[in-house]
Amino acid sequence: MSSELDVRPGTDRAGRRAGAAAEGRGRGTPASLTRRSSRCTLCPAGCEVQAAGSGPDHWRGEPPNAAGAGLCPRGCCLPELLTDRRRIVSPLRRQDGRLVACDAAAACERIAAAARAGGIVIVLDGNLPVEEMLAAAAWCKAWPAAKLCLAIEPADRELLGGAEAGGAAYLAASELAACDGFLIVGDPFSANPTCSRGIFERRAANPRTPIVAIDPAGGAAAKFASLSVACAPGGEADALAAIAGGTGPAARALADCKKLAVLVAAEFGSTTDLRAVGELAGKVAASRGGGLAVQTVGANALAAVRIEQKLAALSLAAAMGGEVPLVAVGCDVLGMLGWDEGRVLAAAAGLPNATTEAAEVVLPLALSGEVAGTFLLDGAKAVEVGVLLPPPAGVPVPSALVAELARAAGVAAPAQRAATGIALERAEAAPPSAKGAAASARADGPQLLLTRSAMHSGCGSLTGWGSWQAASADLPELRVCPAVAGKLGIENLQVVSVGAGGPAVRARVRVAPETPGGVAVLSDGFPQCRRAVACRLDGGRFVHAAAAAAIASEESRHADAG
Amino acid sequence: MPTPVEKRVLIDVDRCVECRSCAAACYLSHADMPAVHFARSGWAALPLICRQCKSASCVDACPAEAMVRDESGIVRRRLFRCIGCGSCAKACPFGVLPGATAGQPRAAFTPDRLSGHQIPKCDLCADRTAGGGGVPRCVAACPSGALRYADEHDTEQVPLEIAGRSIGDSPYKRR
Repeated sequence: MSSELDVRPGTDRAGRRAGAAAEGRGRGTPASLTRRSSRCTLCPAGCEVQAAGSGPDHWRGEPPNAAGAGLCPRGCCLPELLTDRRRIVSPLRRQDGRLVACDAAAACERIAAAARAGGIVIVLDGNLPVEEMLAAAAWCKAWPAAKLCLAIEPADRELLGGAEAGGAAYLAASELAACDGFLIVGDPFSANPTCSRGIFERRAANPRTPIVAIDPAGGAAAKFASLSVACAPGGEADALAAIAGGTGPAARALADCKKLAVLVAAEFGSTTDLRAVGELAGKVAASRGGGLAVQTVGANALAAVRIEQKLAALSLAAAMGGEVPLVAVGCDVLGMLGWDEGRVLAAAAGLPNATTEAAEVVLPLALSGEVAGTFLLDGAKAVEVGVLLPPPAGVPVPSALVAELARAAGVAAPAQRAATGIALERAEAAPPSAKGAAASARADGPQLLLTRSAMHSGCGSLTGWGSWQAASADLPELRVCPAVAGKLGIENLQVVSVGAGGPAVRARVRVAPETPGGVAVLSDGFPQCRRAVACRLDGGRFVHAAAAAAIASEESRHADAG
Repeated sequence: MPTPVEKRVLIDVDRCVECRSCAAACYLSHADMPAVHFARSGWAALPLICRQCKSASCVDACPAEAMVRDESGIVRRRLFRCIGCGSCAKACPFGVLPGATAGQPRAAFTPDRLSGHQIPKCDLCADRTAGGGGVPRCVAACPSGALRYADEHDTEQVPLEIAGRSIGDSPYKRR
């Protein structure tokens, strides 16, 4: 799946100098740029992404040279992240509050000693190739002191758990144009802009195609709906249940569909029962001959959910709620949950994040785009994805790092690992979980909701380092309707502080008429936004309480616009 | 006198999902000075992209001869002649040049990485489109199919619809 042109592993700090002069690139004409291509795995769209060598040590992202190839801002920034000058390329340990360079063997021994003392939990990124997850699982199985946990976005995990139980087939983006009706839950257009194309193609062919949206935040997808279901925050499951039961105008609008596509995206901080949403969405799609398109964070969340269940891996909630020290491998688990601290002994990452800031030991790790393997793309089919660029010299892929840690603890290599095929088997239906303790919002302010962002992947701990992301959105955007803005006395582009149970976050106001009244919407692509929405453990799962947004003006737009 | 280009970047406003992929692709390939900007209009935040006018006011207004129509017909800015005075932005009748656009603080989209005095300007990604084989990066990156690189006369024949209702026969009439 990857095409590898003339790149020689190299001599620079990041190991990628490829002899620019010899190859006629560097400052040559654009046609002489070195290009490599693969698929972006930051979301399930799996768009083709090119890395164009722009000088010996710098690569930038390029969309393929074809009309409508599609590459969102996350994919565009991926190649430059791989060669970011802030890459972590050597082990570090914390000394007097600061991170200082240390020996790799000493870092591994520190982790092995903690494992011998009371055990550790290895929290592995859930957006890795299937082979990486299975190899790490095999090492953890052979290492009694280490338990494996796959870090999956809590909202995605719940949603996918329900979707697996719903029984509907998973649709590829290319199949959407052949569907005759669309039911949209959340804002999948922001989660994965590519999925909008098939809907628009179908609508162009038949303008009367029903597009029904259920989105309390009134996001990008809801703007294009032929029918937008009035839905209070947290009421998505009830709205879907009404459609499944055949009652209401939405059910009537979709009644004649012979092949219904249901597109679902889950937002961090949602107070609805996402497992029920996933299951109902699957049942509605299956009952109308269609399928489901779940727009998760990362391309392999579905595989991670299946592997977690089949290998009985520790859930993230259990890992975070326990007393055992954590070793985070490739995931910004604290940023993802909006937590400030946790028992993080070590964090392996490609770029600094909230988890590395809290860790005692920091290890280098390959990033997305540097690890090859199998992903569930194109409608949950196994697709081989090659590397976009090789990792910097000496930087391990996740399974190699776990193996290194296990060897340091004296663990022998595992004889075998589970077959890749287990990621293709549906997860068994899990028992319904207790519904979260969602309290109603206070009457003195709009309810704060988070929404997915096309700019950032997950909590933005990786894509937040992108130069375009940094230049175009220095602050998260707070979207409110004109009525709410007028009531609060805030205006477009004004900088405000927003709080809702957690620490306040600075945001720039966008007064948007499409936003429903009674809500204020922030992007979940910023760790500070996730911190603003309090997330806590309750009964072995993460829950969020609905909370009113406390919005305070900081400055007027005129003071900032100069 | 070079003839104006035949093909331009056109937007179907009823397909734009405001993901800003076009701006990101432009930013990363044009020395961090994107020529794609956004302006809010009611419910929509639409990308503003140079129309490559046949009679380009920006060329006439530029006091430094930085804005020119090159031999291929593309109106482009000569980077090291631009003094950042903003005359072109003020002269542009469509407000597609930064400085004339409302809705974002200028600093948010123009980090001014070089001298701090350049006006970003679309060059239709001439490195890709020269010879007629490729498309500008904004068009390639657009995930929803809202941006097209097309001949104006071809698209005049395509009826456009919003929510099932025909509202015109030209992309230009929709702005």
